[in-house]
Amino acid sequence: MIEGLRILFLIGLLFFPISVFGAEPVKFRHIQSIYFDEKGIGLKEPEGLACHEKNLLIVGDTGNGRLLRYNFQEKSVKGGSEIKIPQLSNPIRVQVDSKGEILALDGKKRRIIRLSPEGAFKGYVDAEGVPSPSTFVPRSFKIGTDNNIYILDVFSARVLVLNPESKYQKQIPFPQGYGFFSDLSVDVKGTLLLVDCVKAMVFSAPKGSDRFSPLTKSLREYLNFPTNITTDNRGIIYVVDENGSGIVILGQDGSYLGRQLSMGWNEGLLYYPAQMSITDRGEAFIADRGNSRIQIFTVIR
Amino acid sequence: MKRSAKILFLSMVVSSFMIVSLVYAQQNKFKLKPDAKGKLCLNCHENFKEKLNDPFVHTPVKTGECSECHNPHSASHGKLLEEDASRICFKCHEEMMPKDQKSNHRVVVEGNCVKCHDPHASKNKFVLLKAGNELCVDCHKNIGSALTKIKFKHNPVEKGCTNCHDPHSSSKALHLLKNDLVALCVSCHETNRPAFVKQHMNYPVEKSNCSSCHNAHGSDRGGILFDNVHQPVANKVCTQCHEASNSPTPLKTRRAGYELCRGCHGSMMNDAFNKNRIHWPLVDKTGCLNCHEPHASKEKKLLLGDSKSLCGKCHSDTMEVQVKLAEKEAQEKATAKGKVIKGALSHLPVQEGNCEACHDSHAADSVFLLKQPSMIKLCEACHDWSKHSSHPMGEKVVDPRIKNITMQCLSCHRSHGTGYRYMIALPTVTGLCVQCHKQFKR
Repeated sequence: MIEGLRILFLIGLLFFPISVFGAEPVKFRHIQSIYFDEKGIGLKEPEGLACHEKNLLIVGDTGNGRLLRYNFQEKSVKGGSEIKIPQLSNPIRVQVDSKGEILALDGKKRRIIRLSPEGAFKGYVDAEGVPSPSTFVPRSFKIGTDNNIYILDVFSARVLVLNPESKYQKQIPFPQGYGFFSDLSVDVKGTLLLVDCVKAMVFSAPKGSDRFSPLTKSLREYLNFPTNITTDNRGIIYVVDENGSGIVILGQDGSYLGRQLSMGWNEGLLYYPAQMSITDRGEAFIADRGNSRIQIFTVIR
Repeated sequence: MKRSAKILFLSMVVSSFMIVSLVYAQQNKFKLKPDAKGKLCLNCHENFKEKLNDPFVHTPVKTGECSECHNPHSASHGKLLEEDASRICFKCHEEMMPKDQKSNHRVVVEGNCVKCHDPHASKNKFVLLKAGNELCVDCHKNIGSALTKIKFKHNPVEKGCTNCHDPHSSSKALHLLKNDLVALCVSCHETNRPAFVKQHMNYPVEKSNCSSCHNAHGSDRGGILFDNVHQPVANKVCTQCHEASNSPTPLKTRRAGYELCRGCHGSMMNDAFNKNRIHWPLVDKTGCLNCHEPHASKEKKLLLGDSKSLCGKCHSDTMEVQVKLAEKEAQEKATAKGKVIKGALSHLPVQEGNCEACHDSHAADSVFLLKQPSMIKLCEACHDWSKHSSHPMGEKVVDPRIKNITMQCLSCHRSHGTGYRYMIALPTVTGLCVQCHKQFKR
């Protein structure tokens, strides 16, 4: 009897770490939420955000038609100054390049604008030299570690790669049999990722490749309607499940690693989240659109 | 040498005897007397004798091999069947479910062969329960009723559904079609006949999709066009959208995506593009054709289908929830045994697929493409909330849970339903209220 219990204990000890950390190697712990700008005006349905390694956080305060600039340092948020320009009435995606310049996609005009680090309008990203068809409609975009701009062009069913000066470099056509691509991402190795919100699938194209292929099967059992995808500095993939109000975590090979967060109003819960961004220090910023706030989490690996 | 030949000869004789014995044993596994097959069963099943007079008798019945399907002593399946009723037919008719099928009849997949066939005998060919289309329209009632009303009928449909459809499965096309749609159509309609060419404005339509314009079952419009026809098609001005018929690419459209439609539907497009949020499929490669037919449709506004299936094509997650909620509602109603259950589990317009009651399918200024920026005003269009709740709501009432938003209908309810009565967000009313009224939390 005692011998049996001892064996059972040893087996339990052996499998304990696997059962605890094997299914969900990444966990989110809530640190703080942002509700207001520096003047005390509330955020309204923010959809875009971008964090920069120099503690800069840019928020696309979509419902208020403006950008907000915050500083995030030592788990504390400061600032919240407004950037409001007529060329940007509906910021739905935001990125910051290595020089600190802000790029934002306007959902109304469906154009990407470039702003100086101070927030002054510098011009549109017009994809100079793009081959026929010259029309492109950006649904989303990302800036890679090489500062290249990757545009999800839904009109011509392709990903456009532009250099930092917005000049055309190459294009990769969408794969066959997709549903609708809602977002793209570029990981540290330069692998391009597309998320299909209709089929709940992720497609990938390794750096240098000219075609996308499925990275995952349909992830419908884990998520409802994915609208945003991002990666951390280890290549872990985070998919924002808008309708399911959660974050699905995938390995570099597309394997399912777990799901974090759920629907609700209290801090740490999400209500139709729109975008997520993660720093090298493991801070995750989520545009919690339905709750009109930005939530900040520590990602525990 | 002689000895080995003898051994070989004897072995062959023994083997042949064994094979014959085995086959006989297999055929006569119940060791029935030679003239007892079938007749023995009819001794008791007298009513069956009349059935056997039908002109079409299932072969095993005809040859008296009742034990091919039934075990005369005992069985684990109903009607003393040797196999489960859904599988027994495939013992002999395996070919009815080929592996490389593109479409199949659900009743065949389910092994529900008796929906169409009598397993013993019938007055109809293939031991069918009813003759001709009468059998098909028993289940396909919508098509059946439409066929009785329509003005212009497609001749082959009147003659029989099996002219175009294989009743079991098709390895060549969807919808159980015997061949690829165009190949099927051109097998009767000669595309090089001058009248055909003229009707189709010299366009090589044999390279296209006939069902983009024509209702193969018939319609109220000449040429069995679908009831709702796109104006350029009705006016036979194909060049309004397509390149000229004598161009190298006659079927190619003049412009891509929404840019083509914008030429005529500029006002609608401009309205949509002036809104803050667009329904993204409108501006993708397929554009308007994600939801609309370019030529003709049986649906109004040339829609590809009813809005439940159309919206559900992309928003399947939402529609799947609705199916589950409808099932839950049915279960709870059955359990209630006639008692009135107050409060809905899901929102009626969503259940009915009336998505446009709240959403604008092209573009809107609000999130989720809602028709109204104010949720209260949107709900107010159908619900007089002030009569059902005195709870403070509106722009001046801050939500205690989130400092920068105000109370509105969705502070407590979820518009697509939740599985909880009154579509509240949490399982209990108390649980919901104490989210804000924390002093009452226990």
